Amino acid sequence: MRPDSARAALWAARTARRRLADVLAQHVVAIGGFATVASIVTMLAFLGAETWPLMRGARVVAREQWRAAEGPAILAVSTDEYRERVQLFRADGTIELVRPHDGAVTDRLALPGVEGRTVVAVRRNSLGQVFASLSDGSLLAVSLQVRPVYEAEGRRFVSELSRLGEWKLFSPENPPSVFAASSWRDGSLAIAWVNERGSVSFWSLSTTTSLFGESESTEQRGDIGVGGVTTLILDARGTRLVVGSHDGTVEQWDLRDPANPVLIDRRRATRADSVGITALAYLIGDQSFVVGDREGQVSVWQPVRDPEVASGWRLARIHEFAPHGAAVRSINASQRDKGFVTGDAAGEVALRHATSEQTLLRLTAGDAPVVAVAMAPKADGLVSVLEGGTLTSWAIENPHPEITLRTLFGKVWYEGYPEPAYVWQSTGGTDDFEPKFSLVPLVFGTVKGTVYALLFAVPIAVLAALYTAMFSPPGLRNVIKPTVEVMAALPSVVLGFVAGLVLAPALERHMPGFLLAMALGPIVVGGLGALCFWLPARWRVRLPRGFEVVGAGLALILVGWSFWHASAWLEVWWFQGDFRHWLAETLNTRFDQRNCVVVGLAMGFAVIPLIFSITEEALANVPKRLVSASLALGATPWQTAVRVVLPAASPGIFSAIMIGFGRAVGETMIVLMATGNTPVLDWSIFTGMRTLSANIAVEIPEAPYGSTLYRVLFLAALLLFAVTFVVNTAAEIVRQRLRQRFQQL
Amino acid sequence: MTKKLLGVWKTGDPFIWLAAGALATAVVMIAGLLVLICTQALGVFWPRSVAEIELVDGTQIVGPIVAEEPLPDAEGLYAGKQRILVQVGNRDFFAADFRWVDKANVRAISYPAELVTLEREEWGNFYGWLDALHVGSETVAKGSEQTWEALRARLPDARRLAARIRRLERKQLGDVNQSIEEQRLLLRRLEYRGAPEAARNEVLQTIASLQAEYDRLHGELEELRKQMEAEKVVLRASTGAVKELPVAYVVRAYRANTLSVPGKLRVYASKLWEFVSGDPRESNTEGGVFPAIFGTVLMVLIMSVAVVPFGVLAALYLREYARPGPWVRAVRIAVNNLAGVPSIVFGVFGLGFFVYFVGGTVDALFYPERLPSPTFGTGGILWASLTLALLTVPVVVVATEESLAAVPRELREGSYALGATKYETIKNVVLPSALPGVLTGLILAMARGAGEVAPLMITGVVKLAPTLPLDSHWPFLHLERKFMHLGFHIYDVGFQSPNVEAAKPMVYATTLLLVGIVVVLNLAAIFLRARVRRRLSTGVF
Repeated sequence: MRPDSARAALWAARTARRRLADVLAQHVVAIGGFATVASIVTMLAFLGAETWPLMRGARVVAREQWRAAEGPAILAVSTDEYRERVQLFRADGTIELVRPHDGAVTDRLALPGVEGRTVVAVRRNSLGQVFASLSDGSLLAVSLQVRPVYEAEGRRFVSELSRLGEWKLFSPENPPSVFAASSWRDGSLAIAWVNERGSVSFWSLSTTTSLFGESESTEQRGDIGVGGVTTLILDARGTRLVVGSHDGTVEQWDLRDPANPVLIDRRRATRADSVGITALAYLIGDQSFVVGDREGQVSVWQPVRDPEVASGWRLARIHEFAPHGAAVRSINASQRDKGFVTGDAAGEVALRHATSEQTLLRLTAGDAPVVAVAMAPKADGLVSVLEGGTLTSWAIENPHPEITLRTLFGKVWYEGYPEPAYVWQSTGGTDDFEPKFSLVPLVFGTVKGTVYALLFAVPIAVLAALYTAMFSPPGLRNVIKPTVEVMAALPSVVLGFVAGLVLAPALERHMPGFLLAMALGPIVVGGLGALCFWLPARWRVRLPRGFEVVGAGLALILVGWSFWHASAWLEVWWFQGDFRHWLAETLNTRFDQRNCVVVGLAMGFAVIPLIFSITEEALANVPKRLVSASLALGATPWQTAVRVVLPAASPGIFSAIMIGFGRAVGETMIVLMATGNTPVLDWSIFTGMRTLSANIAVEIPEAPYGSTLYRVLFLAALLLFAVTFVVNTAAEIVRQRLRQRFQQL
Repeated sequence: MTKKLLGVWKTGDPFIWLAAGALATAVVMIAGLLVLICTQALGVFWPRSVAEIELVDGTQIVGPIVAEEPLPDAEGLYAGKQRILVQVGNRDFFAADFRWVDKANVRAISYPAELVTLEREEWGNFYGWLDALHVGSETVAKGSEQTWEALRARLPDARRLAARIRRLERKQLGDVNQSIEEQRLLLRRLEYRGAPEAARNEVLQTIASLQAEYDRLHGELEELRKQMEAEKVVLRASTGAVKELPVAYVVRAYRANTLSVPGKLRVYASKLWEFVSGDPRESNTEGGVFPAIFGTVLMVLIMSVAVVPFGVLAALYLREYARPGPWVRAVRIAVNNLAGVPSIVFGVFGLGFFVYFVGGTVDALFYPERLPSPTFGTGGILWASLTLALLTVPVVVVATEESLAAVPRELREGSYALGATKYETIKNVVLPSALPGVLTGLILAMARGAGEVAPLMITGVVKLAPTLPLDSHWPFLHLERKFMHLGFHIYDVGFQSPNVEAAKPMVYATTLLLVGIVVVLNLAAIFLRARVRRRLSTGVF
């Protein structure tokens, strides 16, 4: 009794254990299934999450507002790199450093040698140079550096003021309140101002140092005869002057030769004559400039080549922005990107970005007119001062101001371009480079490469599959299928290498012959088939099955070989000895060594086995009953193949082509190695292109984590993912339907 | 006549021929490619005879003739004129490795016996004459013949010396260096955690003793280097320019023009062996690809560890457990899309997710003392392998599913009839029968993984890795290390090296190796699959 019950207990325990194992296994396996879906969803979600910040605008992280201490008028404002010290420039020549979070004045500096005089106007540039027009008609230039010093208890700020020079430039009766200064570079400086007649005067100082270290300075003065000037700006080198007037015109002058200023162009920048220009500012790089008017309109202008204008340049409005409600009072450009900030007479401040034409933020500083606005050096903050001394400091988060759907997919008028264009150029040599993130050339390149690859691959793959499924002897079939499998397995880097380093240089020298062989090959083979048909019947029956492949192959090799070698003669006869030259002259097309013919061949090579296998499967799976019925009714094998089998399997062929398309769209190594990777926008088969995938491979190693480029490349990946997802899913659904239909037939 | 034309149309012979032509095109393409790669690659290691070419103007050019092709005239026509491409080598004497010579300018071509080919550690091959051999300030041999004999006699010892120096530099000094680095990190970790002074002092002492060891080894190295520099051979190029070269810098020396076929075969074998077992030289354009082979194999193995369980579970789910419905369709669509999404997208995902997100988190949690220099937060072999595992899951799923479907129902039913649970049936009956299928899937996945490059180049492959990911230092397998890969090697050497023409032989050889691996794996899979199909179609019972 006892042993039995013990055994029963043991048995029960074992059963329980087995059950548990069974249930557990079921769950583990289910997790395996779940994991595939999870990985696809994670991929999609992750790519989306990395891309999403591109579409988010700017936002204010913190805002501090306080009233400046009573005192002489505030003329200008700026802030340091860490946004911890706001600098206020006052009319008595003092500079106050203020801590934004409590409004406390931590430091007070005095411009050297101002004693007894007052400051009429102040200009400050990104190098920390400060220029002041003084009440006795002199111009004072100083350098102000506010640097952090790290100590045990934290960051402390040290300010250094050093005098660069002082010159008597202006009339003492009428010191200008509107003037512009170039930057100070080793003793060279240019100043332009609005004189008492309302027109422009300028002065330049240039210092040359001789071999022996003696420096010699020369001063030059000049006038420009325009009236009603309201505001003006100079670029950092002091050679390009922009003048804005009461009647709404802007003029750009070339001051490279101070004795002989040249007018580049004059345009009306406002909607009506009566609206005056109220503020101007050069964007970083000093190429395009922002214009603000009395109505509150804001636009960006740049000189564009135009032979009809005397100087050869025309001022063009390249970007327009949502207007202010009141006159624009102050504009300040970012030192990081093509962003800028504008402030108006109603106390509103707006953060904008030139390339994307976005107004990213509209902020209210108060009710009084804005005296000055400034962007923080790292473009992560704004400061404004209003009449009456209200100071506001904003910390902003604005990671990707240059990206909108329009800059990604639309035409944008970039700096230095004659017209709006689709351009991909993510990095440039200089800090003031304007990144160009148009995905259009890349999408175009992807489509171009795919189309040429499929043009080559689809006929070959489908016809070859048709032959294999319908006409080939079984022995041949058993050889073909593993061969194609090996073809599918060849790494794309190998195909890319052969295409880029062997095929491309060879084709370059034999292009006409190759193209002719491509055109004539099928005709010759078809003709051979016809010839074969006319052979006497007793010869025909002796031909082994599969003879066509050998015959056609030999014929093709012969055609290819002879045209390959005749290519040089063809060039002489038809293309005046130089195919490239002929292309450029007659068809106006460039010829790249790594062109679409090469890519089409190489990518076709990669796609053929894919399309072949699926097509062959679809054709072979057409129920044999259909074939037999057709043959029994007297149709020839060819008629059966074309009229019965092909239509029945056509969804399968369609899905094969779709899958081939998906493969070609995302192929990376072949296009990377077999094209020049230049983003161009033309359909010519003799030029290369740059695809989305190759672009990712080229640029992502250099893209800093979280940067705009990084996220745009993620967007490109997301785009590829989405396209292939749709195509593959569609193809899969078609295939499943087809399988069901065949089962019903 | 019309009837005949109609007949052509009906039988469609021309079109059948066209279809056959399409098939032939595909076959010719693959065959042509394989033949091209084989012929080019297999000739790479063959020692070529060195020609002495005398031009009409009296100049002398020395080097193997690599190619001969028709020279187009001014009109672009090939009127029977030929030009030859000579590999002049001697990068320390000449600007370019190769030189085109118009055959019309050639007065004579001869193959003198005393011309030597020296493969060197630097500056590429040398083709020219040997003048003398010095040891210290003493001249041991003079004249072509005597120097050749002396060089041959001394070369093995010199190579051993060079190998010893390299071992000392790389291995011993490297080991000490790494130990010092580890101790430094330990120190930082201790500081990070606020460990007592005594513990830190102990580490400092260890560092000091290691430093002493380093200095001793360094002295030894200097001594050996001096010894190496003492033995020099005097080379003379075709221009008459003369150069002294330490014998130890010569990798291989032979007189190609007098070598017999067995002698050439010996050189061939030695070069081939260097190719598969040596380190790359001359910025990857010479020497071997061992690190790339090693990296590829290790990466594929790590990938396999991840992909097999994942793929087999997914296939088991689809075939054995799931009930038909929308969820199964979702899984199928997911598998299909894993197969169809471009590999570069996997790379981008791997970079963002594995490297920056997972790797960054791992660094923050486990290696805070090394920050800001990343450990796992940068590309490495683990992340590359996992990315590829994701990419190759469908291959395993499809193959496993097929073999699961082919397991006869009788087998399962027999197992159930004996009272086995589903799990036991799968474990003991179904999976063993399906094992060859799983293996097929694994082999195909390995082939795919070995050939894939695009996702790797952004998740951890580098052109030259200083260390292998597997070595004698704890924890032996360094999953965070960057690695070299055959496919990337092809891209990098073929397209990123400064002298593409000189690098081409290396690219061909690497290509053949990679294609060989991939094709052999695929053929193995095809063979295995065919066997399984045959066995299952005849039935076990």
